[in-house]
Amino acid sequence: MKHVLMGTALAAMAVTGAAAQEVSLGRFFGACEDAGTDTTTSTGEACIIQSIINAADAELDGITVNTLPTDWGNYYDQIVAAYAGGEPPDIHVMHRHRVPQFAGLGALAELSGDLEAAGIDVSDWAPAALDAVSHNGGIYGVPMDFHANLWHVNMEIMEAAGLVNDDGSPILPTSPAELLEHAAMVEDATGHDYLAADFAQFPIGVRLVLSLMWQQGENIFTEDGTATIDSEAARNAVTTITQLFDEGYADPQLNYADSQQAFLNGEAAVLVNGTWVVDFYAAEAANSDVALSDYHVADFPTLFDEGATWADSHMWAIPASLKRDDPETYAAALRVLAFINDHNIDWARTGHMAVRNSVLGSEAYAGLPHRDEYAGTAAIARDTPAAENYGAIQDVLNRELQAIWLTGKSIDDALSDAELEVQDLLDG
Amino acid sequence: MAMNQQRKGRGLSQTQAAAILLVPFLAVYGAFLVYPFFHGVWISLHDWNLLAVAFNPDAREFVGAENYIRTLWGRNIEWGPLASPVMQTVGVLGIGLAFFGFRAGRLSKATALALGIAGSLFVLLPGFHPGEDGRWYDRRFWPTVGNTITFVALAVPGVTITALILAAALDGETRAKAVLRTLFFLSQVLSVTVVTLIWQIMFSPRQGLIANLTEALGGSPIVWLTDQQFAMAAIVIATIWWSLGIAMILFLAGIQDISKDIYEAAAIDDATGVKAFWYITLPNLKRTITLVVVLQIILHFQVFGQSHLMTQGGPNDSTQVLVRYIYQTAFRDSELGKASAMAVFLFVIMGAFSLVQFIVGREEE
Repeated sequence: MKHVLMGTALAAMAVTGAAAQEVSLGRFFGACEDAGTDTTTSTGEACIIQSIINAADAELDGITVNTLPTDWGNYYDQIVAAYAGGEPPDIHVMHRHRVPQFAGLGALAELSGDLEAAGIDVSDWAPAALDAVSHNGGIYGVPMDFHANLWHVNMEIMEAAGLVNDDGSPILPTSPAELLEHAAMVEDATGHDYLAADFAQFPIGVRLVLSLMWQQGENIFTEDGTATIDSEAARNAVTTITQLFDEGYADPQLNYADSQQAFLNGEAAVLVNGTWVVDFYAAEAANSDVALSDYHVADFPTLFDEGATWADSHMWAIPASLKRDDPETYAAALRVLAFINDHNIDWARTGHMAVRNSVLGSEAYAGLPHRDEYAGTAAIARDTPAAENYGAIQDVLNRELQAIWLTGKSIDDALSDAELEVQDLLDG
Repeated sequence: MAMNQQRKGRGLSQTQAAAILLVPFLAVYGAFLVYPFFHGVWISLHDWNLLAVAFNPDAREFVGAENYIRTLWGRNIEWGPLASPVMQTVGVLGIGLAFFGFRAGRLSKATALALGIAGSLFVLLPGFHPGEDGRWYDRRFWPTVGNTITFVALAVPGVTITALILAAALDGETRAKAVLRTLFFLSQVLSVTVVTLIWQIMFSPRQGLIANLTEALGGSPIVWLTDQQFAMAAIVIATIWWSLGIAMILFLAGIQDISKDIYEAAAIDDATGVKAFWYITLPNLKRTITLVVVLQIILHFQVFGQSHLMTQGGPNDSTQVLVRYIYQTAFRDSELGKASAMAVFLFVIMGAFSLVQFIVGREEE
C-alpha cells in the first residue's frame, strides 16, 4: 500500500512537473465563456480567439495558458501599467500602431532569431504583415490579421432605392455629391437613414475622416511631425459626412451598440464598421428574428481620387524581460504564438484578412462567407501614421470631430483647434 | 520591595504605552498614505515618462514647477473682470451674500468666511484668459476642472436633498418603511461597474426603460449619453441613485437623535408634517447636513467611473472630469509627472473642503 501511495505521488509530481510551464496571456476582444477547444466552429472575435487559446492550452504538451481579463476599454492602460510595474503578461495582443511606442522603449522582445525554431515561417507572411511587426529592422511580434473599415450593406433597402447592379452588388457612390444623391434615394424610397456608424464614442468617425483624407492624397501629419489637419482635404472629408447629418440621412448621436442595432433592425442601408463583425452580421442575417435579412459586404467606396480605407493589424508580442530573464517561459510563449499562427484560417473566419500567403491563397479562405465581396480591401488598406502617442492624437481628433457633429462647433474652429493640439502632442 | 517590583513590571509611562500602541497605525499610515503622497509631489517635479522610467530609471529629469505651469498656465494669460461674466457675477453675489448674511447675523463667521473665499475664487479664477496670440498650454485642463465642479454642484445637492426627503419619509417603525429603507440602501453596495451598466441600459435610446416610457407617452427618445445637453445630467442621475444610501442612513441617524418631546410640543402648536419638518427636523439636522455635504463634496470631486464607463468623457469632453484626465495622462500618455501635478491640484481642492468642515465643526463646539 505504501509503495502504491509513493508511486502515485511520484507519478503526480512527474506529470505536474512537466505541465508546470504556465504562460500568461493578455488580450482584448472581450470575454467568451465556454469557448471550448474546437477552433473551427466558434463565432465572433471573442469566442474564436478563446477557442484557439483553449486549444493551445489543451494540445501543447507541458504548457498551460492563463488568459487574463479581456476588457477592451482599458486594455492599453493596463498593459502600460503592467510593464511599468515590471510584470507584463508573457504574451499579449496589440495593434500595429502601438509598435513604435512599445518597441521604441525596448519593452518588446526582438523575435527574428527565434521564430523559425519555434515553427513560425516568416517567409509565409504577406509583405505588409511583416512590415506591420517590424520596427527599426527587427521583428517584434507575430501578426494575426489585417483589419479594415468596410461598408456593411442591407440589400433589401438598396433594392427598394434602386441601388443594385445587375450582378446583384450594391451601387455605391463615387463622389460626395453622389453620396448625398443615394442617401436621398434611400430616404425617399424607404424613409430610412442611408448611413449609420458610431460617430459618438468609439473613433469610427475619425477613421472615416482619415480614409476620406487619404483618398485625396493627404494625411493628418507629415513624416517629419507637422500636423496638417487644418487643411482643405480635411474640410472636404468632414463636409462629406456632415452633409448627411444636415439633411437627416444619418444620425451622429448613435454609439457603437446603437448604430449596430440600427443596422440589424433594418433602419439603415449602410453601416460603416470593421472586418471583425462580418461573421457576426452574417449569422444575425440568417436569424429570422432579425430584421436584416439580405446582408452584403462592400469595400469602402472611393469618393475622391484614390482608394483608401482605414486599416490596422492585430499582432502578438512577448516582453523583452521574458526573453532576457526566463528562457523556458519564453520558449513556451513562442510555441503558443506558433500555435496561433497555425490557426490563422480560423481567426480569418471573423471576417479579418489573413496574414499568411498560404492561407490567403487557400480555397478554405476564398470560401469564407462574403469574402469575395470585399476582396479589394487589401489593396486600399491604409495604416494610421506612426506616432508614439497615437492614442492621444486619435483622442484629440475624436473629440474635435464629435464637437462638430454633436455640439455644432464650426468646422474651421474644430480643425484649427485639433491641429494645435496634435502639434503639441507631436512636439512632445 | 514587592510594590517596587510591581511598578517595574508595569514599566511603561502612559506616553510610552501610547507611542507603542500608535506605532502599527503610524507605520501603515506613513507607508501607505504619507510616503506615497510626498512621492507623488516629488514625481510632479519631474519630467517622468511612466514606461520610459520603468525601463531606464535615469530617464526622468528634474524640471521644477514646469509640470504645474504646463497644466495650469499658458502664454499671454491676462486677467479681466468681465472675462467670464456668468461665473464672476456668481462670485460677486457669493461675496455679497457672505458679507450681508454675516452682518445680519444669519450666517456664522466660518460659513460666511467659506462663502466669501469661494466667491472670491469665482471672481478671480475665471477672470484669467489668454490674451492676443495667447493660449493655455493645456487647453483641456480648466474645462475639465469646470466639468468636475459642475458635476459636484449638481450631484451634492441632488444626493443631499433626495436623501433628506427619503430619510424623513422612511423614518418610523412600520415594516414597509424598513423594507423601503433596505431597498434604497441596496444600490449603495453595488460597484461602479454594475451601476454604470444598469444606467447605460436605462438610458439607451433603443432598449432603455426611459426611452420606452418617452415613446409610450408619444415623445421621441433622448439620446442621453451622447447629447451634450444631457450627458452630464445622465451621469449625475446615476450618481444620485448610487450614492443615496449612506447619506440617507446618516440623516436617519440624525433624525432619530432629535428628541420626540420637541415634536410633541410642536404638535400642540399645530406644527406637524411639513411644518414640523421645516421648523424642527431641518434646524436640528444642521450638523448632519454639513457633514453629509462636505463628505459628498470630497467624494464627488473624485468622480471617475461614471464618466469613464458611461460617456468616456464625451461628447466633446463635456463630461471629462479631473480624475479621468489624471488617469489618461498617467496611463494612456505615460506622462506621470504632469498627472501627479494635477493630482496635487485635486488634493489642494479637497484639502480646502476638509479644512472648511474642520473649521465649521470646531466653531459649533
